[in-house]
Formats: sequence, structure tokens, C-alpha cells
Amino acid sequence: MKTNMPLTRPIRRFIAETERMLDTEVTLLRKPEAPPGGTLIDVYSYNLDKNIIIFPANYIGLLKDFVIAKQCTHLLVKGAAAKTGGYRVLSYNADTVYTGMRQVYLDALKDEAKKDKKLPVKKLIDMLFILYKQFHDDINELPWNPVVNARIYYRMEQLRKTQLYILLKDGKQDMDEMMDMMEIIPRRYFVLDKSMFYARDLYLAKTLPADKLMPVVNIPQMKKFDHLEVKEMLTTRWTHTAWYQSKVFGDNMLTIMEKHLTADWSADSSLEYYGNLYKVGVNLTNAMLAYMTMKDWFIWETPQHLLAAEQEAPVYEKAALKKIFGDLIDES
Amino acid sequence: MPVSEIPRILKRAEQYVRQTKYKEALALYDQAIRLEPRNPECWSQRAGAKIEMERFADAVADCDQALALNPNQADAWSRKALALSQVGQYVPALAAATRASTLNANDAVAWYVKGICLEETGKSDEAEIAFAKSLELEILLDIKEEKNRIRR
Repeated sequence: MKTNMPLTRPIRRFIAETERMLDTEVTLLRKPEAPPGGTLIDVYSYNLDKNIIIFPANYIGLLKDFVIAKQCTHLLVKGAAAKTGGYRVLSYNADTVYTGMRQVYLDALKDEAKKDKKLPVKKLIDMLFILYKQFHDDINELPWNPVVNARIYYRMEQLRKTQLYILLKDGKQDMDEMMDMMEIIPRRYFVLDKSMFYARDLYLAKTLPADKLMPVVNIPQMKKFDHLEVKEMLTTRWTHTAWYQSKVFGDNMLTIMEKHLTADWSADSSLEYYGNLYKVGVNLTNAMLAYMTMKDWFIWETPQHLLAAEQEAPVYEKAALKKIFGDLIDES
Repeated sequence: MPVSEIPRILKRAEQYVRQTKYKEALALYDQAIRLEPRNPECWSQRAGAKIEMERFADAVADCDQALALNPNQADAWSRKALALSQVGQYVPALAAATRASTLNANDAVAWYVKGICLEETGKSDEAEIAFAKSLELEILLDIKEEKNRIRR
């Protein structure tokens, strides 16, 4: 482990255990521009000889410890998968990008037909890939969040208060995501996006347990549903709102999560254990994609495939637009 | 260069530290100390840069210089605690962290380092209290940082 910062003993031990189990090295870096959840740059996803965990410069104590614990757990899952049979991520190619963008376009047309004020054509066209990529980023990350957080809760008791603060903060930030696009993107995608985060927060609220994480307690836009009777919720007044629809879909996604997230979170560490956690995450991801009818939007591939796809993304977008709009699309 | 330039020099050095340009920061701190060797703030801040460069023994020496000039320099006690804990000297680090948190009860780092030292010296119950205090302060700082980020 390479670091110049103070660490509590449990975290030092956890890093040492990670390094030993994966036969690798972990370096810790503090950077002003790091995102609040930190970043993991690992040897399984990039062409590197060591793993780097980067966290925000203003995280000096237990907040930093939690980020390190979270990223180390993620590293163990990836590493165990890589060592026991192959680590894969959700990637894309020209065909899958076309499939996804075409579906977004068809849904956008349905929504536009009901609107008085139509979206400018350029904005509609730009939105197709942006929305596709947003879901790609979210579905590559979100299923692992409850896996990692449940594991940390049961293995690192001393971080529970820190974890709760960060989860509350993340919950509000995730729900704010896409708010500026709420009136632009097809209602379906706004609802599915919120539903995923709603389900995650509700799963963690039940599993940790932490009542404060319940979206009807933590999320301002959902507080109105707290203590609302079923009969009242079924009235027209509520059913047409995006937030109510997010709750309904989110409750269904919670059922999917509970069905697939069946690991023993307090089990002893081993490569086999983390390899099984990887399979749990993959199964959950597939189940969520099936529920959102996005199975053909992405493909399981090597991390190197995804890196190459990110380079080719503008080409895939252009090709998909050409297929959808034909000669109506300007070459520029 | 006049002594009145020191606040500007220290501010610039602090910016370098935030950008992880420690060598540049160190050069400015050296300049500030040359201009006013009896300013404990200059010594204390230079210790901070040396900690980032993992020059822990040198950092402790700078902290001691600052404390010789002002025994109640809370930052210097905090940095001394941090540097000593990094080289495994938990008993003197604990004493320094305790002094730091007494002088400045809002120093999250001092409480965190105190927690580590208490943990390493077998006082886990007291460590838990120190960590809880550190977390409380860190959360307040994080909320403030978040508000600044939104304003930007």
C-alpha cells in the first residue's frame, strides 16, 4: 500500500487484505477534482501495474476511510471475477447503440405527440445518445452499489455512521440527476432512472437497516407519499405524476433486488466469496435490464472492449442517427 | 521584500499545496521564513507541506520551531500529531493531538489522529469518542464544501 495519509487500523488491515488476496498493490491519492464517491482505477479495467483509489481532497478522516473501503470492496469483486473466470462489464457496439437510440426515439415521438410545446429537432437528436449513455453509465454502476454497501455495513461496523451520511447525500444527489431534463426526455426514461435509485435506497434502508434511507423519508420529492393511504394513491391526482410512477416502478425493482441480492453479507472474506458477489451483481444487472426492456442495448464484454467502444462512441452515434433518420441527417 | 508580503506569500503557497505542487509551496514557505523567522504560522504551514511530501521528521522539527515561538499554535500541534502518527510514534502523537483538540475543538484532523493513536494504544472506547467527534466536524465541513460547490 502506498499512502502518505493517516488511516485507521481496520482500513489499513482491509487494504492489506485486498492486496494479499489479489496479489496486487493499492495506492491512495487525494485530488481536489475527485468525485464525492471517489474513483477506482484498477489493473483489471486499465493497462496499469497497480490500483489507484482517488478520493476528494477535503475528505480527511472517516469520510476518506469509507471511500477507501467502498473502492477496495469493488476492487475485490472485480479481482475475484478476473481470477476465477473472467471479469466483464456492460459495453456496446454499433448495433446495440442503434437499438437503444432507436427505442429512445420511438418513445420520444410518443411523448411529443401529447405535448403542446414540441422539442426542437436538434435537441431531440442530441438527446438520443445522451440518454442511451446515461443509462449505460447508471446500469454499469448501480447494481454494484447495494452489493458493496451491504458488505461494508456488515464487515466494517465502525464505518456505519459515516456510511449513513454518505448514502443520504448520494440518495439526494442521484434523485436530482436528470431534473433539468425532466420536461425534455421521454417520461419513461425519467421514471426508470428514478426508479433504479429509489429501489437501491429502499433496499439499503431495509438491509442495513437504516430507516432514514427510505426515499419517502429522505427524498423531498417523495415525502408526499409517506403515510399516504393506498386508496388515496390510486386517485388520478397522484397517478399521473412522474414521482408516483417512479415509486411504483421502484417498488417492482426492489422486488427484483431482493430476489437476486441473497448473499451472506457477513461471511468471511475469500476469493470465492467475492467471485460469488460478482455473479450476484451480474445476475441483478441482467434482471434489471430485462425489466426495463433494455437487454439488447448493451453487451457483456471485457473492460478493454468498453475502453475501445468509448473511443468509437461518436462514430456509433453518427451511424445510428444515419440509420434512424436516413438522408435527413446532415453529415456534419 | 517587505514583511507585509507574508500573508500573500502564504496564500500562494497554500494554493500550491491544494494543487499538490509541494516543491513550489516549499520554496514560498522558505521565503516567508527567511523574511520573518519568528512567525510561527510560516513554520507550521511549511510543516504541512513537508507532511504531504512524507518528510515527517522534518515536519516535526518545523512544528517544534512554531511551538517554541507560540506554545498555543493549535495548527502546529495538529500537524505534529499527524507527522508523529505517520512514523508510528503514537504516544507523543496522542499528546500532541490532545493538545491540538483542546486548543481548537473544531479541528477534525486532530480528533481523527487522536482516535488513531488511542486505537493503537489499546484505548478503543476513547478512540470511538474521538472518531465520532471527528466525523461530526468532517460532515459539517463537507456540507459547507458542497454549498460552495453549488454556488460555483
